[in-house]
Amino acid sequence: MGEVTVTALRDVSLEVESGEFLVILGQSGSGKSTLMNIMGGIDTPTTGQVFFQGNDLSAFSEGQLTRYRREHIGFVFQFYNLIPNLTAEENVEMATEIVAEPYPAIEMLRLVQMEDRKDHFPSQLSGGEQQRVAIARALAKRPEVLLCDEPTGALDLTTGKLVLDVLNEVNKKTGATVVVITHNATIADMAHRVIYVADGGIREIRENAKRIGAVDLEW
Amino acid sequence: MVRGALNKRLIRHMIHIWGQALAIMAVVLLGTASYISMSSAHKNLLLSRDVYYQQYDFADFFISLERAPASMVYRLEDIPGVRAVRGRIVKDALVDIPGVDEPRNIRMISMPERNRAVLNGVHVLSGRYFDEGVTDQVVLSQDFALHNNLQPGDRINVTLDGRQHSLRISGLGMSPEYIYVVRNAQDFIPSPERFGIIWVPETFAEMALDMPGSRNDFVGSVEEPERLDEILSQAERLLDSYGVFVSVKREDQISHRFVTDQIKTRDALFTMIALLLMVVSAAVIMVLLGRMVHQDRTEIGLLKAFGYSNFAIAWYYIKFALVMSISGSVLGMLLGHWLSIQMVYLYVDFYQFPEVQVQIYPDVFLFITITAALFALLGALAAARRAVKTHPAEAMRPEAPRHGHRTLIERWHFLWSLLGFTEKMIVRNVGRNRLRAAFCVAGVMISAAILMLGFHQMDSITYMIDLQFSELQREDVRVHFTHERNRGALLEMARLDGVRHAEPLLQYPFEIRNGWRHMDTGIIGVPENAQMTRLIDIEDRHINITGNGLVLSTPIAEKLGVHVGDVVRIKPLMGKITHERDVRVDKVVQQYIGTSAYMEISALSRILNEPFAMNVALLKMDEGTTHDLVKYLKDIPLIAAVELTAESYDALKVLLADSMIGMATIISLFSGIIAFAIIYNTTIISLMERQRELASLRVMGFTREEISRLLYQENVLLSCIGLVLGLPAGRWLCQRAVEAIDMDIMRMPFHLETSSYLYTVVLIALFVLLANLAVLRRISRLDLVAVLKQRE
Repeated sequence: MGEVTVTALRDVSLEVESGEFLVILGQSGSGKSTLMNIMGGIDTPTTGQVFFQGNDLSAFSEGQLTRYRREHIGFVFQFYNLIPNLTAEENVEMATEIVAEPYPAIEMLRLVQMEDRKDHFPSQLSGGEQQRVAIARALAKRPEVLLCDEPTGALDLTTGKLVLDVLNEVNKKTGATVVVITHNATIADMAHRVIYVADGGIREIRENAKRIGAVDLEW
Repeated sequence: MVRGALNKRLIRHMIHIWGQALAIMAVVLLGTASYISMSSAHKNLLLSRDVYYQQYDFADFFISLERAPASMVYRLEDIPGVRAVRGRIVKDALVDIPGVDEPRNIRMISMPERNRAVLNGVHVLSGRYFDEGVTDQVVLSQDFALHNNLQPGDRINVTLDGRQHSLRISGLGMSPEYIYVVRNAQDFIPSPERFGIIWVPETFAEMALDMPGSRNDFVGSVEEPERLDEILSQAERLLDSYGVFVSVKREDQISHRFVTDQIKTRDALFTMIALLLMVVSAAVIMVLLGRMVHQDRTEIGLLKAFGYSNFAIAWYYIKFALVMSISGSVLGMLLGHWLSIQMVYLYVDFYQFPEVQVQIYPDVFLFITITAALFALLGALAAARRAVKTHPAEAMRPEAPRHGHRTLIERWHFLWSLLGFTEKMIVRNVGRNRLRAAFCVAGVMISAAILMLGFHQMDSITYMIDLQFSELQREDVRVHFTHERNRGALLEMARLDGVRHAEPLLQYPFEIRNGWRHMDTGIIGVPENAQMTRLIDIEDRHINITGNGLVLSTPIAEKLGVHVGDVVRIKPLMGKITHERDVRVDKVVQQYIGTSAYMEISALSRILNEPFAMNVALLKMDEGTTHDLVKYLKDIPLIAAVELTAESYDALKVLLADSMIGMATIISLFSGIIAFAIIYNTTIISLMERQRELASLRVMGFTREEISRLLYQENVLLSCIGLVLGLPAGRWLCQRAVEAIDMDIMRMPFHLETSSYLYTVVLIALFVLLANLAVLRRISRLDLVAVLKQRE
């Protein structure tokens, strides 16, 4: 049996504004992760084009994509993916080493309210704490875009809200574009815009007239 | 059916990790091959030797003396236990070869007129044995003939006791007495161009040396070799009045001893290497299976929940190890057998055998396969135990996140703060996998040690030869006289054209005794402040021989168990002086080739009741005059042999160069495979364990190079530690190897050149680099998307 081709996305056209808080909503298998991977430069579309600040990502080489991720993108993963044998502060520092003008690690930890736990190893932190460190790590590179893949997927309600609040603060304070991918429809209410993805296509784009603060979300 | 399913999984799994499985197989393969090749070559060589000995009736004892009636053969044969005895006339001579300036040295041995089966018979390879009743036909040793372009039918001029004889070569042959053709124990490498054997009809020998009805050499065989000592002492008593020089048992016969000793040297080396390879294979298996059990934990839990027995689960992993080990062994057998044949033929270049026996030794094959399997089992046991101890319910849950923790080094805050994040990560990672890091270090250490073992073999031999020629044999020409001469002979030599400096030597056979321990050896009389024979003591200082004391070489001192200041008893083994005398051991000197003792030449002469005696002249020549001198010496009577030192030196170097390069290549290959197998395996495993971590770094924008540097630097760190430990470990191993090689005639000196340390470092660096390049391929295949999605 040879490889099986699965089409994850088809006929997708989308524009993301600089500085906006965007939520991409969809069930698992809907293609939302693929969409984010393409935006983040860890996957390339088989057809079509992706532009970032006027440059065509789909024509980028492997090396160019790495640079793109390095200089412009911050990733926050569902399972945090912190380096287990580095402390919280070291995890953030690590990110600062690969860019020219990073934010100081300790400032980022302060932003996510993790300053007092900076010397703890990931295994000594709760899930929410780990995720906040992961956000600090993503931010330290001073990215223009913060891509968050199910950032609350592995967290309980209270912790999840806390993390979302941090993301909101980041969006406000640094002006970074924040894209959150989730299957949790409630989160959509805190975004500027919501993209509904299903069966490999965009079903609906909704603009929230009134945004709800993360603390007030209910699910 | 279910068992079949597990077996299928095993095969798939093995194919999946083919690179690592192959690395382990390669280690086992080489271990098996090195052992089999050496053991089989060894056995084939001994078999070839023994078949040859039997076919041509190699003697059990050898007695050489001044001169005795041929009829003594019957008296000797009457000694109970003696099977047969043959009397011979043996004499060293010079041979003048047309077109060659220097006289060649040759040993003449008398044979019966008619070609019949006798002790130490001659195997004629081309031409024929001499015709009955013809006295000027001879059989020449084949190798000597080939190297001097001589063929049956050619004539040669032989100078015996100052008289020239023209002889026709009737055939070319070889004899079990000269499988290893050297003149004496000091010439430890055969030089077929410069020394050969000539077998002549008895009547010719009697006539040429004016010895009708006399013999100067008896060889005999016995019924029971255990009674050899007793028989030999009876024979010595019987021949006492005829001036016995030396009596030698088969085990001390030069050719026999060299063949046996040289096999021992390499045997020890290769067995050591094979053992190290097996240890490495066990270690790599342990690491690999450890990781497998870790990865399989959910499945193990599942199988256990299904009701699989502990044994079935343990057996799966053991089988994995055994399959790798046994397939490595089987391939190793093929390679080993092929190598053993090559090796035997390599030996045949050094040894003179009429035919080489090549057999397969199932016991050797079986032994090493079982040994390899046992080591594999040992490696698998830890993993199997962990699999058995896995609790089904726990195993089905995802594993708790790995703990990060601080390492010892972090206590030194200052030091720690100097490190970048990459370095910190490396240090912590090493701390996290201490066992694996230890294996990595040990692997590099063993690899370095094996390399050094190989280099040491070369350094040691080179050092030995250099020492021989830069200190002990500094002359250009060495002239051996047929008899002891007085100082006049030295003056005569010194007056010859081109001779810048001449020095005397007196070589005389003695028995040296210390209590019950004794040995027969030559004592060499050396003049005070000798320039040509410079002795070096164990602290590398030149020593001057003065007074009446004795100077012993280290092997003799050890064999006799004497120290500086002890008194030993010496007794001449030749001539009319037979009384014993006590002498003090003044010094012990370094010497690795041959077993000699030294004394001031006048003191030694006085022991022989002479004011001054010499039988060797050492000549230092002016540039370009050697050839003329040697040509002239051909016509001077009473010269037994002429040796050109430079020629010996060059011949030796050429001879050794090839075998050394071959050896170095094989050893480097072995060491390289070890370093590669360990580094590659541990890095791949580390990569598998950390793929999530590394993939997240890639996603964050770390380049492929930065990621590989992370792994690479960890390897470099561990390799450096391995090297730092490996160099002294290698040194230690070389010292043990030198001790393990227990040879009678020569000893390997422990000597390592600085360049060998350097080569070791360079080669290890190369091996580590290669292993890292192989891993690089895997890093580029890291699937970023997939890795991030699932939970560990």
